[in-house]
Amino acid sequence: MTKDNRSRFSRRSFLAALGATAAGLKFSPRLALAEEPPKLNFYNWDTYIGEDTLDNFGDATGIDVTMDLFADNDELFAKLKGGNPGYDVIVPTNDYVERMITAGMLVPVDHSRITNVSNIDPTFRDAAFDPGRKYSLPYMWGTIGIGYRKSRVDSVPDSWKWVFDSDRYARKIALMGDAPTVIQMGMKYLGYPLNDTDPAHIRQVEEMLIRQKPDVLVFAEDNGQDLLLSGEVDVVMEWNGDILQVMEEDDDIGYVVPKEGGLLWQDCLCIPTGAPHPENAHVFINYILDAEAGAEIASFIQYATPNAAARKLLPAEYNTNPAIFPSQETIERCEVATYNGADYTRMIDEAYTRIMAS
Amino acid sequence: MDSWRKNPLVFWVFAVPPAVWLLLFFLTPLALIWVFSFGEKSGLIDVHITWTADNYMRALDPLYLQIFLKSFWFAGITTAICLVVGFVLAIAITFAPGRHRPILLLLVMLPFWTNLLIRTYALIAILRTKGSVNAALEQFWGWGNGLLALLGVEHLQLLGDRFEPLHLLYNNFAVVAGLVYVHLPFMVLPLYAALDRMDRSYIEASLDLGASQLRTFRSVVIPLAAPGIVSGVIITFVPALGSFLTPDLLGGTDSQMIANVIERQFKSANDWPFGAALSFVLMYITFFAIALRSVWSARRDAREALA
Amino acid sequence: MKGARRSHGPLDYSRRLWVRITLWLSFAFLYAPIAILVIYSFNDSRRNIVWRGFTLKYYERAWNNDSLIQAFANSLTIAFFSTLFSVLLGMLTAVLLWRFRFPAKAPFEGTVSLPIIIPEICMGVAMMAFFTRIGWPVDLPWPLNLGAITIAHISFSFPFVAMVVRARLARFNREFEEAARDLGASEWQAFRDVLLPYMKPGLIAGALLAFTLSLDDFVITFFTAGPETVTFPVKVYSMVRFSVTPEVNAASTVLLLITLVLTTTAILLQNRSGRD
Repeated sequence: MTKDNRSRFSRRSFLAALGATAAGLKFSPRLALAEEPPKLNFYNWDTYIGEDTLDNFGDATGIDVTMDLFADNDELFAKLKGGNPGYDVIVPTNDYVERMITAGMLVPVDHSRITNVSNIDPTFRDAAFDPGRKYSLPYMWGTIGIGYRKSRVDSVPDSWKWVFDSDRYARKIALMGDAPTVIQMGMKYLGYPLNDTDPAHIRQVEEMLIRQKPDVLVFAEDNGQDLLLSGEVDVVMEWNGDILQVMEEDDDIGYVVPKEGGLLWQDCLCIPTGAPHPENAHVFINYILDAEAGAEIASFIQYATPNAAARKLLPAEYNTNPAIFPSQETIERCEVATYNGADYTRMIDEAYTRIMAS
Repeated sequence: MDSWRKNPLVFWVFAVPPAVWLLLFFLTPLALIWVFSFGEKSGLIDVHITWTADNYMRALDPLYLQIFLKSFWFAGITTAICLVVGFVLAIAITFAPGRHRPILLLLVMLPFWTNLLIRTYALIAILRTKGSVNAALEQFWGWGNGLLALLGVEHLQLLGDRFEPLHLLYNNFAVVAGLVYVHLPFMVLPLYAALDRMDRSYIEASLDLGASQLRTFRSVVIPLAAPGIVSGVIITFVPALGSFLTPDLLGGTDSQMIANVIERQFKSANDWPFGAALSFVLMYITFFAIALRSVWSARRDAREALA
Repeated sequence: MKGARRSHGPLDYSRRLWVRITLWLSFAFLYAPIAILVIYSFNDSRRNIVWRGFTLKYYERAWNNDSLIQAFANSLTIAFFSTLFSVLLGMLTAVLLWRFRFPAKAPFEGTVSLPIIIPEICMGVAMMAFFTRIGWPVDLPWPLNLGAITIAHISFSFPFVAMVVRARLARFNREFEEAARDLGASEWQAFRDVLLPYMKPGLIAGALLAFTLSLDDFVITFFTAGPETVTFPVKVYSMVRFSVTPEVNAASTVLLLITLVLTTTAILLQNRSGRD
């Protein structure tokens, strides 16, 4: 993902790069007791890092970073489940951080080596899924809501009803092809807690979706925003960042978090058990949490950063964009997904299988 | 066919490498997963081997059997289409002048060296509502209307008041189209290999004796090409049955195949024992079909040995 | 039979209209998506859904994208070694099954067919579990670190090759081979001078098939790959999360050209040796 119209940020990026290099000098491992070779294996989502971040980090610290990619949390988990094949820093989403902590797949992050922890916005200094942030530090956060084409909707579709329970946009609806997400958003619509594990409620959501299925065009596999852009669908359940990217190419596209509430997610930096370069991992995490480095990353990938110091360096356009930073009351309506146990996972999967098979 | 005892040294030279490879790098991993299928999840990552049949019982639930059936149906249609088209292609290539043949063969194989995902996205670009097919049809519709206008009957709106695009994507049609697209060369190659060395004098003889083209085709060509047909069918049907990217990317809400369910078990559902059980049920069924073929060819070999 | 060439003879199927129509329609079907792919690699739009103008900048980006190039190199290397060993093993298997009767032949045949039946994902997970359990080293230098992936590819490719070569062998007249041996040729000579040349088209077809399977594989590769061993399909799939940019189309077009050149060379070589 490389942005074309980045001219508004080029001066900032330049300054950010300079600042990052300067900041990086602070993190030089010459002073640390690193006997590790100067390498780092970073396992991340695609294009989920600043354009020059890794190079800048390399210049500043002499550590060479190799970034490998995964497409979703399940892949990440499946990959590491059989034993860590050599990654030092990974970027799971909050409910997977929880899973991995429970499974003993993460090592605690030594906060004494992360001096930039103070840059993090107070709301993110602690988390229900990782008390005291022992194992994870926040990277980016956002919401799941509805992306829509303004000229094809009667009014802003600010309720999940338009995708779950109405044939107003028949055959022009796309839902997310992810079992837990779809069911959890269904729960929000029906007024239940997002993480509700009651089988009767799950059944209710399942039946609603089976009823709605003839009006749904597709359960999109991460490309809902493309479908919206190409006009294949008019309303789509999607991540805010994905919709933001297409909003840049088409003014006719909007994003809204439904009034019943959406999902609030947080991607975090973690160190998996068996990481070959844990020292370098700490240096890397600390670098990312630096103000200038964080600003560079956020301005490039256009997601919401939990780094308060970085936000101060970013333009108003970014900080006041409601699609990136929803209002406080919107946030309050949203919920965070938690790991709800193996039985819940199985129920959700079977419900989804039944929906798809009906 | 010789008995192996006739020339044991030669036999072992041919037998040892594939056997060792299969044992070490195929059967052992499989055995590992087979054992998993009798296990239970314990915690998030471990699997306890409790030798339980629970996973298999669950796999035979009507919900999953129905999905198996649908997958067979998809794979069957795909194979049938590939067989018909592939056979014509193979014949065209086999009977083409010698210098054209490698080129034609290459032309058939070439699309399949592009990455599956990209090709599928390209297929999407063609099939979607504003894609190439519909764009072309819309053009024709416009011309048609223009023609009608010339004839002075445009007010009758014979072609409808608005262009209705064909819904070619996110449905079962797209899945079959995608599956045929991916699997066609797997059918062509064995057919070509078999037809290539077919003795054409049989065909000529049949025609000389007065049989029609169709009769010749049915009674001479097809039986002679039979080994190639069987190979091609197996090579096409089985992977089509187990494909998950194609129905995932091109299918609608109604196109779930068994491989999609299995994939989910190894990923979001995190239930490796159940996924292993489902895969093995799938394999047992298709293994049965292969065994049939092997029995058939063993009988044929026995007949030839006696002849 | 090759000498007799009558125009529009009964065997000249390729001249028949309906055959030709099917041929051209099939090629149109096969190549239209490829054409779109290539055309859109020049599209001046990051999202690459609607055409916005012509540009070469994505080719430049792909060229400068180190990880994409590395993934390319990995894919080609793996495909090369996988094809080599698959053809070898496939040929041995085909001849074995064609020529010999031996106890447990039917189960052996069944086992050889198993890699074809198995859902890719099951095999991928099995391979991953296997390599982890036996402690396969993960930090070997290139290209040895591609070993696990290559082994997995060979395992699922060689049965395909065996099948293709077997179809070819099914029509072979054993008398030629027996005649050669009656005339005093050793086993090896009979194999090399009679059987091998006959199998060649099957071997080439099998090699093409094995190469394709390896280059295009995603699922099995994903599970057996680790850091620094990303292949092209795996890289593409993860880029696809944020939509296929023209950069990926550009890379694919280049890959297409490379394989076109490689195969044309192979075929020219084969034609030349065939004429001797």
